[in-house]
Amino acid sequence: MASGPILQVNGIEKAFGGIRAVDRCSLAVLPGSITGLIGPNGAGKSTLFNIIAGLYRPDGGEIWFGDARIDGLPPYEIVRLGLTKTWQIPHELRNLTVLENLVLAAKDNAGEHLLNLFVKPGEVKRDEIRCRARAREVLKLTQLEGLANEHARSLSGGQKKLLELSRALMSDPTLVLLDEPVAGVNPALTGSLMDLIERLRQNGRTFFLIEHDMNVVMNRCDWVIVMHQGRRIAEGPPETVKADPAVIESYLGG
Amino acid sequence: MTGGASTHVSKQAPVPTVPWGGIVAFLAIAGIVGAGVIAGLLAGASTQGILTNLGFYASIAIIFAVLALGFNLQWGYTGLFNAGIAGFYLIGAYVAAIAITAPSPPIVVGGIPVYPGHLGGYSLPLAAGIILAMFASGATAAIIALPALRLRADYLAIATLAFASILQIFANNLQSVTGGAIGITGIPKPIAFTTADAPFLNALTIVGIGSAILLLFILLLQFMAESPWGRVLRAIREDEEATMALGKNTFNYKLQAFALGGALMGLAGALFAVTLGYISPSSSFAPSVTFSVWVMVIVGGSGNNRGAIFGAFLIYGFEWLSVQLKDYIPSALAEGLPGIRSLLIATGVAAAVLLVFVLFVGRFIWPSARSRILTTVRERAWARSAIVAAFVLYGLGWVFVFLQQYAPRAIGDTIFYLRLMFIGVLLIILIIYRPEGVLREHKRVLR
Repeated sequence: MASGPILQVNGIEKAFGGIRAVDRCSLAVLPGSITGLIGPNGAGKSTLFNIIAGLYRPDGGEIWFGDARIDGLPPYEIVRLGLTKTWQIPHELRNLTVLENLVLAAKDNAGEHLLNLFVKPGEVKRDEIRCRARAREVLKLTQLEGLANEHARSLSGGQKKLLELSRALMSDPTLVLLDEPVAGVNPALTGSLMDLIERLRQNGRTFFLIEHDMNVVMNRCDWVIVMHQGRRIAEGPPETVKADPAVIESYLGG
Repeated sequence: MTGGASTHVSKQAPVPTVPWGGIVAFLAIAGIVGAGVIAGLLAGASTQGILTNLGFYASIAIIFAVLALGFNLQWGYTGLFNAGIAGFYLIGAYVAAIAITAPSPPIVVGGIPVYPGHLGGYSLPLAAGIILAMFASGATAAIIALPALRLRADYLAIATLAFASILQIFANNLQSVTGGAIGITGIPKPIAFTTADAPFLNALTIVGIGSAILLLFILLLQFMAESPWGRVLRAIREDEEATMALGKNTFNYKLQAFALGGALMGLAGALFAVTLGYISPSSSFAPSVTFSVWVMVIVGGSGNNRGAIFGAFLIYGFEWLSVQLKDYIPSALAEGLPGIRSLLIATGVAAAVLLVFVLFVGRFIWPSARSRILTTVRERAWARSAIVAAFVLYGLGWVFVFLQQYAPRAIGDTIFYLRLMFIGVLLIILIIYRPEGVLREHKRVLR
């Protein structure tokens, strides 16, 4: 599977009432890449991400994650397969601490099953210790460790973005969908955030991200896909896309 | 990675905080018990009588505490709004009553049916009745939740509200099962005392059994709700969609929390049946029970078990106290009427003087004090609330004075119902100044 795409979207459709948000959209993401998804507002990018992550059910089409067909699967099963998504507007669990937010995102924590609390107390304890240790590691990576025991609601906008990424990393995903990871983040932090994503990519993860920051898209992505009115209108390396007349007309502007 | 500045944390020394919530909670319960004792002493009751009465307070408060714990698991932890608490409570009470009561056939006197009888009367031990009650209510909760939890939150509230109303109608009309409007009587006490001080000993056993069960379930719930499982529940309360995207099958968790909460309400129903010795479909299972439990959890503090228990003891305390006091307040008012009237007149004159000062003459004789008063009123919410509260109290004071003079019996009848207004005012004040409840949810600091 190393050569084939890690994510393949085939003719996905989704309409909200009369509006076709995603209109027979097809695209592929190669493993180990940082692939950008750009397009004007309302192009259907976030909707497509929500469909891939299982939060919306598509009206038609297929989605393949590696060898597994994932369209129609509930979100929690897609996460278990190794595909996670962050939100454009941070969905931090406000009244839980940062550390709790992360520990929750870990996979296979025995104590999250009610019966295990009573029949496998040893395993519950072991898993909880493992998950907390992993959460601390991830927080060190994203430089949030000093805020571990603060309520997530008390974080700044940029820190919440970091929390989103940290949570996504907790489940040890192979593909991460990032919905505008640097929107509202200051330039210095944007740089370090993208450095981190670059390092994680070198560890074998794939990133598929929506972004309006053209610096990020042009300098950090190795492949860019352009959506307009629910469809893919162009794709290619950043330089090619930048020069594409259709892209300039619909999105970048003359 | 550079630019860690935005994630910089200042290490502040922890500020020692006074546990105001705990202090207020302790004083409130102590005040209720103290007022109850004083009312008993004023009425010339014996020590044993006062204790029996306090025992009644404790045993009903324990029942409400179990209800509140169940609702707190559903709403406080998981965010599921149950508007049919009374229904699950009713199921528990009837199932327990049918299980532990002796057979009671229909009674016909002179060809006229007096009592329709009720299902069974299986004379099972109390423990079996309690377990059956919990199982029945828990299973019903699961069955209702199965379709309703897939819908938006509002629909769960509507479905449970309708369910509770239907159950009350069933209990009233399904005569051969429930005993109809008369209900089920002769529910055996845990121990049958025959001596003269049986009421006291009964209260003692009920409070003993109730406290033991409450303690057991506090420990169990604390263990479950503060576990990784409970953490998922709290995550669902915060944001179900995000929790799903974190890999949790949120529906299963909601179902578990709702069913377990329902089982606790069934347990409360069983305790109620044993405590009172009879049940009927009237007021004991009316929607007002549901509303009381909401208020208990909101006032006490949701998302933590201490808050739910305190709320139950506090709000039921008001109810109990209003019954204790309603016989004494009219006479106390009658005796104190001249004093109250002069107090009201004096306060009115003082307020008028203050008003004239602020509006007209203050500017010339003491401008600094006048401006300080005006600023306080303009900038401080408590000052405005205090003014409104003072006006309301003042008006009520005059209403009482006139009622006492012209319709003295009305006061005795009103006191009992005024508690609802009192609880309502308390709720409003709390939601403005401490929306998280008296005992707020604590931060879970993980090592």
